[in-house]
Amino acid sequence: MSKSNSGPPDASRYEALRAILRYARPHRLTFIGIFFATILAIAADLVQPYLVSIVIDDHIAVGQSGLPFLTGMALIYLGLAIVSLIFTYIQSNLLQYAGQHIVASIRKDLFGHISRLSMSFFDRSSSGGLVTNVSSDTETISQFFTQVLLSLIRDGMMLVFIIYFMFRLDTTLAWYSMLTLPIIATLAILFRKRLREVYQYARSRLSRLVAFTAENLSGMGLIQIFHQEKEQTRRFTEFNSDYWQANVQQLKSNVLFNRTFDVLGNIALVLMVWLGGVAVFDKQMEVGVLYAFISYIRQFFQPINQITMQWNTFQSTMVSMDRIWRILRIQPEIRDPEPQQAASVQLEQVQGKVDFNHITFGYTEGQTILPDLDLHIRPGEMVGVVGTTGAGKSTLIALLNRFYDVQQGSVTIDDQDIRQIPQEQLHRIVGLIQQEPFLFSGSIIDNVRLFQEQVTREQVIEACRFVGAHEMIMKLPQQYDTRLSERGSGLSAGERQLISFARIVVFRPRVLILDEATANLDSHTEQLVQEALQTVSEGRTTIVIAHRLSTIMHADRILVMEHGEIVEQGTHAKLLAQGGIYAELYRHARQAGHDAAEA
Amino acid sequence: MKDRSILTDYVREHWPHYLMAVVLIILSNIAQAALPRVLGQFTDALLAGSIRYEMIIDYSLILAGIGIAYNLLFGAGQFSVMRLGRKFEFAMRQSLFRKFATLSEHYFSRQGTGKLLSSMTNDVTSVRESISNGITMTTNAIFLFLSCLVMMLLSHIPLYLILVSIVPMVAIPFLVVYFGPRIRKRSMSVQESLADMTESAEEQLRGIRVTKTFAIEPTARQRFGSTVDQIRDNQLHLVRMSSLFQATVPFLGALSLVISLMYGGYLAIQGDITIGNFIALTLYLRIMSGPLQQIGNVINMMQRSSASLDRVNRLLGEQPDIQDDENALPLAASPDLELRDLTFTYPGSERPALSGLNVHIASGQTVGIVGKTGSGKTTLVKLLLRIYDPPDGTILLGGTDVRRISINSLRSRIAYVPQDGFLFSTTIRDNIAFSDRDISLEKVENHARQAMIYEPITRFPEQFETRLGERGITLSGGQRQRTSLARGLAKTGPILILDDSMSAVDAVTETGILQNLVQERQSRTTIIIAHRISAVKQADWIIVMDEGRIVQQGTHQQLLNEQGIYASMYQLQEEGLHS
Repeated sequence: MSKSNSGPPDASRYEALRAILRYARPHRLTFIGIFFATILAIAADLVQPYLVSIVIDDHIAVGQSGLPFLTGMALIYLGLAIVSLIFTYIQSNLLQYAGQHIVASIRKDLFGHISRLSMSFFDRSSSGGLVTNVSSDTETISQFFTQVLLSLIRDGMMLVFIIYFMFRLDTTLAWYSMLTLPIIATLAILFRKRLREVYQYARSRLSRLVAFTAENLSGMGLIQIFHQEKEQTRRFTEFNSDYWQANVQQLKSNVLFNRTFDVLGNIALVLMVWLGGVAVFDKQMEVGVLYAFISYIRQFFQPINQITMQWNTFQSTMVSMDRIWRILRIQPEIRDPEPQQAASVQLEQVQGKVDFNHITFGYTEGQTILPDLDLHIRPGEMVGVVGTTGAGKSTLIALLNRFYDVQQGSVTIDDQDIRQIPQEQLHRIVGLIQQEPFLFSGSIIDNVRLFQEQVTREQVIEACRFVGAHEMIMKLPQQYDTRLSERGSGLSAGERQLISFARIVVFRPRVLILDEATANLDSHTEQLVQEALQTVSEGRTTIVIAHRLSTIMHADRILVMEHGEIVEQGTHAKLLAQGGIYAELYRHARQAGHDAAEA
Repeated sequence: MKDRSILTDYVREHWPHYLMAVVLIILSNIAQAALPRVLGQFTDALLAGSIRYEMIIDYSLILAGIGIAYNLLFGAGQFSVMRLGRKFEFAMRQSLFRKFATLSEHYFSRQGTGKLLSSMTNDVTSVRESISNGITMTTNAIFLFLSCLVMMLLSHIPLYLILVSIVPMVAIPFLVVYFGPRIRKRSMSVQESLADMTESAEEQLRGIRVTKTFAIEPTARQRFGSTVDQIRDNQLHLVRMSSLFQATVPFLGALSLVISLMYGGYLAIQGDITIGNFIALTLYLRIMSGPLQQIGNVINMMQRSSASLDRVNRLLGEQPDIQDDENALPLAASPDLELRDLTFTYPGSERPALSGLNVHIASGQTVGIVGKTGSGKTTLVKLLLRIYDPPDGTILLGGTDVRRISINSLRSRIAYVPQDGFLFSTTIRDNIAFSDRDISLEKVENHARQAMIYEPITRFPEQFETRLGERGITLSGGQRQRTSLARGLAKTGPILILDDSMSAVDAVTETGILQNLVQERQSRTTIIIAHRISAVKQADWIIVMDEGRIVQQGTHQQLLNEQGIYASMYQLQEEGLHS
C-alpha cells in the first residue's frame, strides 16, 4: 500500500467522504424518516419543562379552576411520552437498518474489489493490513452510523430545540445561557483530547502486557527449562506496573473531567437562579418560566457532552474512510482484454504449447530480471527448472500466470498471446501448485473442490484416489468430512500437498506449474508426492521448479537458470555429461548427503 | 464462602480505604439530594414575596456550594474505589503470572494458552469492574435514593404523594435485570459474527493465490459475503431489543412525572403542598431514576463476574504437577545417564510413548538418537528435564533417580536446544543470553559464532541489539534455529541436548556447526537428536528409535553394516538421488 498512500490528505478525505456517502444515497428516504422520528422521539423530554411551567404559572398559581386544565396537560404529556416511546424505537431501528445495510455493501464491495486486484498488489501489501481495512475500518464506519450519527441527530436536535424553547421563554436569560456555550464546548473538546491520549496510552500498555503474557505462555516450557521464571516475572511486573500507572492516569483524567463538567453545570444553574431570581423578584418573570429555565439548563449539558464524546469516533471514521477509499481507487494493473479483442478459448481443446518469445521483464524500472528470454515448451512436455535464488525461476511462472505483464516480447499458449485471454480463462488453463499448500477452513471435500458445489463428492474422492491421498484421508477421524483449517489440523506438509494435487485433478488445467512443491517434505511423504506428481503430469504440459534434484531428474528437459538466463538445458544424462553447473549441483548435493542444492 | 477468597481477602485488607470511600460517596449523595430542596424553598420564598435581594444571592451561593461539595466528595470517593479496583487488578495479574510460571507443560497443553490469557485479561477485568463499580453504584444507588426520600420528607412533601409517584419507576431495576443479559447475549453474537468475518477475510486474503490461480474469485466473494450478511442480521437483531429497552426506561420516568403532575398539581391547587414542593418533587423524580437503573446494572454485573471470579480462583488454586521431592538432591557434577526399563505413557493417552528403554551413557560421551517423527525421541528429553515425571527409578543421573533431583538444579544445569527455535520478542542479545542475562557481549558473540549465526546478526543495523518479533525484525527459520542453538550453548552445565535443532539449517552450515561443537562436546555429555543421519554420524554411540522402542544401537559403521532401519534411512537420505 506504500505507493497508494501519496497525495494530499484533505482532497482525498473529501473524495473518500463522497465515495462513502454514495453508499448512503439509496437510503435517503430512510434518513428522512429517521429525521422525523427523532423529532417525535425527543418531544416528551423537550416539552416537559415547558408544560410544567405553564401548569405552575397559569393554573396552580390561580387556584381551584385549574383542575381540568391540569388533567389536560397531564394527558398531553402522557401522549407525548407514548409517542416518544414508539418513535425512539422506530428511530433506532431505522438508523441501524440503513447503517448496517450501508456497511454490509461497503464490506462486500471492498472485498470484491480487493479480490479483483492483480497479484502484484498482494505481493506489495501485507494481508494483515488488508484484513484491518476490511474488518476494523469498516467497523468504525458502522460505529459512525450507530453512534455518531445517532448522537448527531438526536443530541443535535435536542440542543437546537432547547435553545429555541429558552428564547421563547425569556430572551434575556436565554442570551445569558448562550454565554456558557463556548465555555462548555471548549472545555469539553480540550478534555476529550486529553482523555483520548490517556486512553490510547493505557490501551498501548495493555496490548504490550497482553503480548508479553501471550508470548511467555507459549514459551513457558522454555522459560522453565532455562530456569528463568524469576527473571520473566520481574519483566512481567514492569509491564504490569506500567499498565497500572496508565490506568490511574486515565482514572484521574476521567474523574476530573466528569466532575468539572458537572460543576460547570451547577454554576450555570446558579447563574439562572441568580439572574432569574432577580427577574422574578422584579416581577419581570414568572416562577414557572424560571423553573423551565432551570430544567433546560440541566438538560443543556448532556447533549453537548454526548456530541463531544462522539468527536473522537468521528475522527477515526474519517481516517478509516480515507483508508478504505485508498484501496477502492486502486486500479488492477493487469486488465482483461476488451471484449471485442478477447480470444475465445475452448478449454477442452487447449493443447498446452507454451512459448516465451524473447521476453524482457523487471519488477521495477531499471532492474531487469529476465533479459530477452526465449523458451518454447511442447504440449505435454515436462520441464524441470533449477537455479539459485534470484535466478528468475519464480518470475517466469508469475509471467505465465499473468500476475505481471512482460515488458517486451510475448507469452503465448497455443500461439495465443495470454494478454488476449480473459484472466479467468487463463487461470483455468494454467494450474499452479505452491510450496506451502493453502488450506481453507472447511472439509476435505470442500478443500479439494474449492467450494465449487457443481463438483460432486464422487469426483473428489476419485481425484484423491488418483493422487494417492485416499488412504491417508480414510485414516482421519471424519474421513472426507474432516474439517481442515489454515494450519492443516493434523496433516503433515506432504499430506497437505497431496490435497493440492487432487485439486489439480478436479480442475484439470492443461498447463501445470509446480513451484518448489516438494521442498520441506520428509522422506516418506516425499515419495508419495513424487508419485502423485508423476500421475498428474501425465498428458499435461508441466513445469517443475525444484531445489531437490530428485524431483526433476526424470523431466523431459531440465533448464538451468542463472541471472535470468537459461545457461544449460537438456536431459539429466546429457547435462551430467556436459560437466557444467548442473553436474556441479548434482555432485554437491550428493556429497553433502542432502538433496538440497542451495548454498 | 471459600471460593470468594481472593476478593474477600483483598477487601478485608483494604477495608479502611473502602470505608472512607463509601463515607465520601454517602456524603456526596446527601449533598446531591439537598439541591432540589433548596431550589424548592427558593421558589416558595420567591412566590411568597418574602424574599430580599440579598437572599437571592445567598441562595445562589448555597446552591453553588452544594454543587461544588457534591462533586468534590463524589469525585474523591469514586476515585478511591476505582483506584483500589485497579490495584486489585494489578495484584491479581501478578499472582496469576507467578502461578503460570509454576505450571507444567502438561497443564498448558490441556488448558490451551488462549484460555489462560483470557483469564488474565477478561476475567480479571470483569472481577475488577464488579468490585469497583459494584461498590460505587450500590452505595450511590442506595444512599442517593434514601437521601432523596429523607429530603422530600423533610420538605414536607407527603409520603403518599412520593410513593404514588415512584410506582412506575420501581419497575426500572426489574427491566434492567430482564433486558441486561438478553441484550448482552445478542451483542455477544454480534461480536462473534464480527470475529467470523475477520477470520474469513484473513483466510481469503491469505489464500488469494489459490483463489486466483483456480479462478474461483466469485466463490470467495460469496463466502465472505455471507459472513457480512450475518453481522448485519445480528446487529439488527440486537437493536430490536436494545432500542426497546432504551425507549422503555425513560418512558417509565415519564409516567412517574405524569402522576406527580396530576396528583402533585392537584395537591398544590388544594394548597396541601407548596409550589416549591411540587417543583422539588419533579426534580427528585429525575434524580431517582438513575440509582434505580444502577441497581439493575449491579445485579447483572455481579452475575457476569461471578463466573470469572471462580475461574481465577480455580487457577490460583492449581497445584503444579511436577514438584520437588521433600529432600531433593542437587545434580552431580558429571553424571552418567542411565535408563532402566523406561516405559512412559502420556497422561490421558492409551498407548505408551516409550517402552522398555535401557541405555547407559557415560559422562562426556556424545550420543546420537535418530528415528522418525513420533518415535519418542523428544519424549525422552522431556522426561529427562522433568517436564513430565518418569516412573520411579527409570531415569538415573549420576546414580540418582531424576525424581529425587531438585528441579532447580536439573533445569539450570542441563542445556537444552529445542527444535522449534522459539524466540522472545526482545533483542537478539537478550535471547542468546537467556539463561543468564548478565553475561558479557563477548560471550554472547562467541556463542553466536559457534552456532554460525554471528555473520547474519552483524548485518542488522543494530547487530546484537536488534529487536525481534512483532514490531521488530523477523528471522528466517534457519536463522531462528541457529539463534536458539546459540542460546542453548550459552548455558553451562554437564549435559547438552540438541533436539533436532538443525533441521532448518542447510548442509554446509550444519557441518560447520558440528565442527564447532567438537571442542564443546569433549567436556560434557552431548545428546544429539536428529532426523538426518548427517547430524549424528560422528557420535560415539547412536541409538535408533521406532515407535517408542530402541530398535538398533551402535556406532555409525556398525549400524550401516546391520541392514536395519538405520541403513535404509541412510540409503534414502544420502543416495536418494539414484532412486
